Amino acid sequence: MSRLDRTRTSAHQLRPFFSSQNLLNRSDGSAQFDFGGSSVLCSVVGPAEVKLRDEKLDKATIEVVARPLVGLPGVKDKALEQNIRESLEPLILSGLHPRTMLQIVIQTMKDDGCILSTAFNAVILALLDAGIPLKSILGSVTCMIDAQSSEILLDPTTEELSRARSTHVFVFDNKSSVQSEQGKMNVDTDDQEAGTSSLAAVLFSDSTGMFTEQEYFECAHFCFKASQAVHGFIRTAVQKKLEKEYQQTQA
Amino acid sequence: MASTTDSLAASPAFTFSASTFQKLHPTEYFRKFISQGVRPDGRLLDSFRPTTVHYGVITTANGSAMVRIGGTTVVCGIKAEVAEPKLDSPDQGYLVPNVDLSPICSSAFRPGSPSEQAQVVSEAIHRVLKESKVLDLKDLCIEEAKAVWALWIDVVCVSYDGNIYDAALISVMAALLNVRIRKPTYDEGIVKVPGGEAINDENSFKLNLTRIPLSTSFVLFDTDLTLLADPNFAEESITQGQISVTIDEHGRLCRISKVGAASTSQSLLKQCIERAKIRSHELRSIMNQQ
Amino acid sequence: MASIKVEQTGSIISTGPQIVLPGDLLPSAETGLLEDAPTAPVIKLGPGLQPMDDDSIAAVKAGVLKHTAVGNRWWVESNQRRYVAAAGESVIGVVVGKTVEHYKVDIGTAQPALLGVLAFEGATKRNKPDIKIGALIYCRVSLANKDMEAELECFNPSTGKADGYGELKSGFLIKVSLGLARRLLDPKTLILRLLGQHIPFETAIGMNGKVWIHSAEPKHTILICNAIKNSEYLNKDECAVMVKALFEKL
Repeated sequence: MSRLDRTRTSAHQLRPFFSSQNLLNRSDGSAQFDFGGSSVLCSVVGPAEVKLRDEKLDKATIEVVARPLVGLPGVKDKALEQNIRESLEPLILSGLHPRTMLQIVIQTMKDDGCILSTAFNAVILALLDAGIPLKSILGSVTCMIDAQSSEILLDPTTEELSRARSTHVFVFDNKSSVQSEQGKMNVDTDDQEAGTSSLAAVLFSDSTGMFTEQEYFECAHFCFKASQAVHGFIRTAVQKKLEKEYQQTQA
Repeated sequence: MASTTDSLAASPAFTFSASTFQKLHPTEYFRKFISQGVRPDGRLLDSFRPTTVHYGVITTANGSAMVRIGGTTVVCGIKAEVAEPKLDSPDQGYLVPNVDLSPICSSAFRPGSPSEQAQVVSEAIHRVLKESKVLDLKDLCIEEAKAVWALWIDVVCVSYDGNIYDAALISVMAALLNVRIRKPTYDEGIVKVPGGEAINDENSFKLNLTRIPLSTSFVLFDTDLTLLADPNFAEESITQGQISVTIDEHGRLCRISKVGAASTSQSLLKQCIERAKIRSHELRSIMNQQ
Repeated sequence: MASIKVEQTGSIISTGPQIVLPGDLLPSAETGLLEDAPTAPVIKLGPGLQPMDDDSIAAVKAGVLKHTAVGNRWWVESNQRRYVAAAGESVIGVVVGKTVEHYKVDIGTAQPALLGVLAFEGATKRNKPDIKIGALIYCRVSLANKDMEAELECFNPSTGKADGYGELKSGFLIKVSLGLARRLLDPKTLILRLLGQHIPFETAIGMNGKVWIHSAEPKHTILICNAIKNSEYLNKDECAVMVKALFEKL
């Protein structure tokens, strides 16, 4: 079946990624991440001085602020803030910077679906740029199940989302991929499980709509595979940035 | 655990009562219980608190319900109001769920604008109602492009002891089942809703719900991600991750959310779904008893 | 630099600078490490590496993994803009407050650092320098602890001499990334050599990314500041062209 998004031929194709780090002059770290027509800009300030009211004695206070594309922040932005903050808390080694504040600001620049995934990827790039100590990196991909064909479409656009029976956002860290590699060996011996990489650990999952258990784990499987591409992209982005910094000292 | 009496025999330098220990090291106190496979309130790790549902607790509302899960009590009232339809959906009514967590239910909440948690729960319920297509919004149409019913779904928490999402969603579904709206008449741009006589099957209609999603929530404790079903307030405050599984009466999934804590294996998610299927069955029988 | 293998899922194993991301594991003791240092099973971890819950050692910052065979030291060289104090580093700060015992100095960390009023060469209770609020101080971090404000001093503790530390008068201060500041401290650094060929100037470089410049004329100072800031992402040839162009316009 062809997609509503004419630029793509396959249901499991992602839109082109784009990223840029260190674009804001006054923040400690910043990044932009695009999934095709969706774009999110993220800035990170910290470890900085914390308000006495928010001070935590044994770790950094993490504050996430989400700004929508148009208008004032609403309930959706609050949900986005909470999702991102609670997913980052176990990832950031906040114990290394007690009694400080880490402020993450997320600004949607262009919205063509999958804003939550785009925001997750922008945030991780900005945190890397700011040099915040992290346990691992993460990669996020959204997929949907088409209402008519029940086909799983990765990285849908707004137009495609209007025909969704359910939408699924997944985040995987780069530790879970290590586990799944080990898992694959077990899976191969067990033919019934071979279709799903059921050992890829899930860092964040948010699914709504109407779907079956089997569909959910299929979505997890495809998003996991796609998130590997995001991990690879983040690695390349960091590599390119470092190469620029090192060109004077090399050779 | 530290003893409550000041025993003279070879006591450690400090002895304090269990309640002092709980205040000083809430996580360690909790861990001691968990290692024995039981929780401080006497529940097993995967057991739920007693749940009750009462319908029609607010007589002035079109539909209402009160739900108790252990120490958490929420009241949901639904008010139907005639409104203009939205431009992009002229033949559909709309649902406006709102969850209120005011200082009345717990000292953890401050007065003023709605807390982040209240907004997040409202948004989650809104998405389940909308994206799982709980009811056909065309049923709420009075006259296309002129008038529709808007359902104001207000959930007020009276007593907060954790697991607000489960309680709020049960109360919303119960209240939706309880809704009765008087049949309106539309004439030349004027909608007339008859009043006066007692409501009965003749002059009113019920909502035709296509599905009844109910949720089951868990929290993840400690680094080994021990699964605790139906967390209370104390358990929520010492854990970082939650998993919620929302399921309808046919066992189809409506929402799965896993937020916070380290990565969890998919087998753990499977376990949550299995447990949620059993729990939602139990909840349905509780709802049907009334 | 020795090329090493990093245990990672993708087969991104290259020679030359080894780039690591948070979560990448250091080769476990049985593999790479012992080959490099057969006699010393002790590993010294520098910035950017942390032991994890499962006893593995993983990178926590994105950067280039470096190690020396002597002492089996491993660290990640990364670049960031926010300074986190580390003992022994030379920094430049702005005095933002004064109490009876301490100056409060903003060195770019989360909390202002403390500089004892007697932490100067030859200072006594009777005879101590009087530094105004807003003054620039070139000093070293004497104590850094994540739970406390950093402490500073304006003398070399081994000799008791000032060694160039103290108040920086006149001149101009710019903020650069920590990575650029480290590069500028290298005596072979290209950009400072190129600038020095054209005009004489004084500079003090703090590890906290603050660079102080002083020259005979303000327009020279401004030119030097711009040249340093611009040089961060240029290669050697581009640097030379950039400096040349700036002086032609002067």
